[in-house]
Formats: sequence, C-alpha cells, structure tokens
Amino acid sequence: MQATATRSNARSPLAARVAPLPVGQLYFPSWDKYEATFRELFDRQYYTNHGPLVQRLEARLAEQLAVRHVVCVTNATIGLLMAIEALQLRGKVIVPSFTFIATAQALSWTGVEPVFCDVDPISHQLDPVAVERLIDAEVSAILAVNLWGDACDAEALQAIADRHGISLFFDSAHAMGCSMDGRPIGGSGKLEVFSFHATKVFSSAEGGCITTNDDRLAARLRNIRSSYGAGAAVEVNRTSNGRMSEAQAAIGLLNLDELPQTLQRNRAIFLLYRAALRGIPGITLHEPKRVNASNHQYIVCQLDPPAFGADRDELLDYLHARRIIARRYFHPGIHRSTPYVDQLPQFVDALPVTDHLNQTLIQLPSGALVGDADVALIGGLIAELQRTKSGD
Amino acid sequence: MLLTTASTSFSNVDHGLIAAPAICLPDPLSKSAVGELAAFGGPAIFATPVSTSNLVRPSIERFLAYSRVFHEAHRYTNDGQLVRELEQRLAELHHTRHAVAMANGFWALVLTIKCLALPGRSEVVMPSLTYRRLADVVAWAGLKPCFSEVDSSTLAIGAKEAAACIGNDTALLLAVHPIVNCCDAPGLEALAADSAIPLMFDSVESVYETVDGGRKIGGFGLAECFSLHASKLVNGFEGGYVTTNDDQLAARLRKLRGFGFQGQDNVEELGINAKLNEIHGAMALAGLDDLPDQVRRNRDRYRIYQRELDGLDGIRLLTFDESERTSFKTIVVEVTDDWPISRADTIKLLNEEGILSRAYYSPPLHSKKMAYPSVPARLPLTDVLSERYMLMPCGHLVDEADIVAIVGMLRFIGRHATAIQRRLKS
Repeated sequence: MQATATRSNARSPLAARVAPLPVGQLYFPSWDKYEATFRELFDRQYYTNHGPLVQRLEARLAEQLAVRHVVCVTNATIGLLMAIEALQLRGKVIVPSFTFIATAQALSWTGVEPVFCDVDPISHQLDPVAVERLIDAEVSAILAVNLWGDACDAEALQAIADRHGISLFFDSAHAMGCSMDGRPIGGSGKLEVFSFHATKVFSSAEGGCITTNDDRLAARLRNIRSSYGAGAAVEVNRTSNGRMSEAQAAIGLLNLDELPQTLQRNRAIFLLYRAALRGIPGITLHEPKRVNASNHQYIVCQLDPPAFGADRDELLDYLHARRIIARRYFHPGIHRSTPYVDQLPQFVDALPVTDHLNQTLIQLPSGALVGDADVALIGGLIAELQRTKSGD
Repeated sequence: MLLTTASTSFSNVDHGLIAAPAICLPDPLSKSAVGELAAFGGPAIFATPVSTSNLVRPSIERFLAYSRVFHEAHRYTNDGQLVRELEQRLAELHHTRHAVAMANGFWALVLTIKCLALPGRSEVVMPSLTYRRLADVVAWAGLKPCFSEVDSSTLAIGAKEAAACIGNDTALLLAVHPIVNCCDAPGLEALAADSAIPLMFDSVESVYETVDGGRKIGGFGLAECFSLHASKLVNGFEGGYVTTNDDQLAARLRKLRGFGFQGQDNVEELGINAKLNEIHGAMALAGLDDLPDQVRRNRDRYRIYQRELDGLDGIRLLTFDESERTSFKTIVVEVTDDWPISRADTIKLLNEEGILSRAYYSPPLHSKKMAYPSVPARLPLTDVLSERYMLMPCGHLVDEADIVAIVGMLRFIGRHATAIQRRLKS
C-alpha cells in the first residue's frame, strides 16, 4: 500500500477532500432515522426529566454492560462531578495525569486534590505499583482511567484499594463497547463513568452515563442529577442538573442499535492502519493489551523521532497542512497545565513516562468520516514524510 | 385534555374582550358530592395530569430544517453553527452584545457566579423565596448563600432587602426575577453601583419581559442567566444561556464551558463541560421562531383564567404588568385569608384530581437543612409569603376547557370547604 501511495496518488484523493478529516468518531444516525424518531418524539411531547427514552436507554445499557444501574447524564464531565459528590470523597484522590483534562477538573470542582500518578510506558494505563507508592492518610480514592479502548489493571487496583480501605472508581470515557475476558467494561470498582460525546464510539451528541452495582450509590446519583420521580429521595449534600434529555437519549438509542456495525467498522479501520503503517521506520501503531475486544476508538501511534527522521510535532504540522487533523493527546499533560502546574508543582517533573508519551504520541483520524482510501492516503503521507526526512 | 377544539377557540379570544365560551363545556365536576373527590376515592378529573410546565412544541418542520444544518456538517456539538446562530438570536432578543449558550441553566448560573464573585469574599446575597436548587448552585460555585427577604409587592429581592444583607464578606448580589413580572432591576443596579458589589440576575422566568418603560431583561447588572429547559418559555429540551454586554466576561464564559481551552491543547483555567449540543440548539431556534405566537397563546390562556377566577373569593390571580412586554407564561394565584381551607390541603386536593398545582415556593431555602455553610437567617415575611401562593397549570398542553375545569374544581372546593375539612380530619 505504501508503495502505491506515491506523491501523485496521495494528492488526488486529498484534492477531492473538501472538509478536514478529524480524529473524532462522529457516528450518527442517518437522516431518515433521525427524522422518524424526532417526529415520534414531537408527537409524544415528552422532552426531558427522566422520560421514556432515557429510561429505555438506561435499561438497555444496564443489560449490555451487565450492571444493576445505569444513570444517564448530560455529559461525562458532569457525570464525574456527580460521581465524586455521590462517593462523598475528601482529601486527595490518585489519578493519572495521562488522561483528558476533565478527569482532574472534576476532582477540583468537588474540592478534592488530585495526586498525579505515572502510567505504564507500554500499555499507557495507570501503573498499579506507582499508585500504591502514592497512598497516604489523606488519599480517599483511586480514580483510574480506561484509556484508548483498552483497560487498566482493575484487579490489581482493586486489591490495592481494598488493602488500604479506599475507594476505586473509573473514568471509562473511552471504554464503551470494550470487554475483558468476554465481560463488558462497566462493572468494576464503585462505579464507572462513560462518555457519549460525539467524538466517542457511542454518541448521544453530548452525554454520558454512570454505571454501578451499588443500589445506595445509584439512588444518590439520581438525586444529585435531579431525576423527577426516578427512585426514592435520599439525602445528598448538593443536587445539580445533570439530566440527559429525550433528544440525547433518542440519538443514543439509534446509535446503540448500530453499535455492533460501528465496532466492526472501527476494527476494519484499525486493521487498515496496521497494514498501511507496517514497515515505516520509527512509527508504531499502539495495540490494545488487556481487553479481548477493543472499540478501537483511537488510532494511537508512537513515534521514535530518530528512527522516523522527524519529531511528533513536525508530523502533526505536515498532516494538518494536508487537512488531516491528527491530534497529540494529551499534550502538554494535565500536570503541566493551568491550574495544576502552579497549584501542584511537585508533579511537574515527577511523571517521566507521561511526559514522554505526551511528546511522542499522535492520534490519527478514525470513525464515520474515514474511508478505506483515507487510511491508505494517511499511511502514504506518513511514509512519504519519513522517506523525505531520512533522505535529508 | 378535555377538549380538542380549544386551540381554535383560543384564537377567537380577543385581547381584553372575553365572551362566554361559544361551545357548551362539559361540567368539569361531574362530581356532585364531596365523597366523589379523587382525594376521597372518586375518579380524578384529569386522567392525564395537567402541569405548570410550559412544554411548548415548536414546529417539527422548523426543527427538522435547522437539524439539516448540523446533520450535513457532521457537527453535533462544540460551538457548532446552530449554537452560534442561537446565541446571535438570543442576543438580539435581549438587546445585549452577547448570549453564551450552556448545557443547562444550573451550570450557566454556577459559571457566571464563579466569574463575577469578588475574590477573597464568600457570601452571595440572594432571596430565600426562590428556585429550590439555587442554594446548591451557590455551593457548587464554592460560596455561601446569604438569604434576604423579599419585597411583598413583587415577591422578589429588591434594593432595600439586598442592602440589608451586604457586609464585609459580600462577594456578589444574585437577584432573581419572580415568576410574574420583574424585580426592581434598576433599583438593584443603583445599589450595586453604590456598594461596589457585582450584580447578576437569575432571569429564568423573565425571558420576554421589559421593565422601566421598555428596557429588555438581559442587559441588567453584569450578566443575566436563563434556562432553555422544556418547562421554560423557550424549549431547548435542556439548555441555558447567559447574556452580558461585557466582552471579556462572554469570552471567559465561552472558555469555561469548554474545559477552559483557549485554542487546541491550551487550557487557561479550571473549566467544565457545559456545552450546548446542536440538537438542543435546533430546538431552541425553532422555539424562537414560534415565540411571538406562543406569547399570544399564553395571553389567551391568561385571559381565560382572568375570566374564570373573577368573583372567586379567596383566590387572587397575580396580574401581569401589561404596560411592559410580558410573556403571560405562568399563572400564579394568591390564597388569601378569605379562602376557607389551607393552601397545603388545596394543593393536595387539586393534585389528586390530576391538577398539578405547586406551592410557590415552599419551603423557602433558608428553612431547609443544608449540608454546606450558609449565613443563618430569620425571614418572617418570607415565611408568611411562602404559605400563600400557588402555581396553576398552564402551558402548551392546557386548553380552555382545562382551565374552566380547574377553576371549577377550585370553586367546588371553596363551596364545600367545611365538609372537605371534616372529611380530611377523619
């Protein structure tokens, strides 16, 4: 494939592409399905407040994720805030810095101080050994992150949490549709928070959900969300508005019907990238390590600049100039971002693996807008840059 | 609904000239005796309850036409084209430089409070007779509610009541417009200027109103916050927005609703996700298209309440100030001393009939248990007022026959109060 992606071949499909190609998944129902479902919604005249569609989505997700409770929310960040509030955490919580900034922001909103932990250089997931070293009397929980459509070592982390009598919960924003030993991700720790943002494998435009097997926690979450009659009223410290609307749930239900095909398509794109990038010196496609089925939500590549001949940002600029909007998650790293860089200076130089990943990883387009030819094109462009640079 | 022809009869109701209904309405109370009330085991008058939520249904065709835009662009959120168009339309509606759309009114308020509170101070002056989650809003912003009395003529915080709460630790004045008409916004602005305390408004109930001879709500204080919840004037499923004439505040709110990002990979401050998605944006735009028409429909409903409640002793309709622009959206009545039965019992009886009237507002916030700090308050007037008012069913799903039946039910309760009370006691 690289051999055929010559300069002229690479240019022709690119010239045809008017819109830039983003990293986000952007799977969305067809117009006909959208129109039909919204005509029904308008006839029903039920718009929000734990309506029939939200209830159906929660029931279907509970079944698919094999958990007792699913609480749908307006977005995953507010879901995380609600989760921390429901867990009534205090003091400090251990969290990777190698995650989207909202993970740490949710802690700050609830008055909890993040303790940034480094990750494993191979899997990119939270390193249990490093976690245990950071536990002290002030730490009340571990907020683990299931990254890239892979999973962290939930069993090892649970053992550590149990040993120290602290809570474990998960940011599973990337994990919808993934399974471990045939069991869907969603039932570990005290609870897990999923994202249904448009850029995720399963979308309700904006949205998310919290999964838990704990009845009491679920009741608290429903009260903090504001649910209008869903379940018993229980005491919580602060309520909020974290409701998912019927419109969001309608999109979610349509996308849930198509999730098997979505996962299949993502897998196909992943395999095309594997073929397209094979043999290019200095760039390695990141493969899921722990899950038996990944959603392949992100196409993550590790760059070895000396072998590739260019650094990550050079490759990024090269692709952006060709309307391939590759990303560099999670540059520059939460521990080096406002407000943490000033508030928690002890972590700035304490996370060498996270820093290395932030400097050398690149995410390539995947999802609904990516055709087979696009993958070949992107592979060709990367190969071309590598050839040019190594020939300098 | 009792009658499906009501929408046609609505359009025949002229401003200020209400004739008797042209059609013969069924006797709403096919109940001849107290024992037939739903509270005592009889069938409810409304099999499908009627509520105080607005629940406006805009044109599905308009909604779909807007939806085409994001569907074709594959852009479902993150400051999309429809949200930007909505912000522009809302800024025009309120005659402000900016409207910043948010995921809902709750987080719109939290973010605005965080932006405007004076640093190093902790108290937010706010009424107690208000929205039940408003103290939680202030707690999420990391601040402490300091509850004020209200002016009994507006049922809202005024300059005098706010001034009495201002102290060395006052960070912000959070004024709230009442459900019918507006608070004394110019007076509060003068107080804010004199005391050098920032002023913002919770204007959720005053989207369409003007005060002070035509000045539009939206441009008072440093910012005003609104909701696009389905129960509000403009239905965006869920949603909210902030209006302001301050360029820097608008830019900061836009940043905060998107995790604090300023450009790709650059976070400038602690943010959150409070983005409004494009589907909700499409709904709100369709709702704005329908707004003038909706206000006419609301006015018609209000006129019917006026006509029906006329002469009912003990129930006083709060009247809209028609010298200003008003949405006529929500119907509030005062349960006066002449009403023979408590408000709580009245609401219970109505609710049992499927008439979902609500106390306005009860309990007041200062009397609720709070798990976070607040300034202790004794508010005798608020305590009294919180026992006197109730919201009556209104909005898109309530028609003329419904209103006739609702008021008929009230009349029945009033007429049979002694027997009802005897029955309630036993």
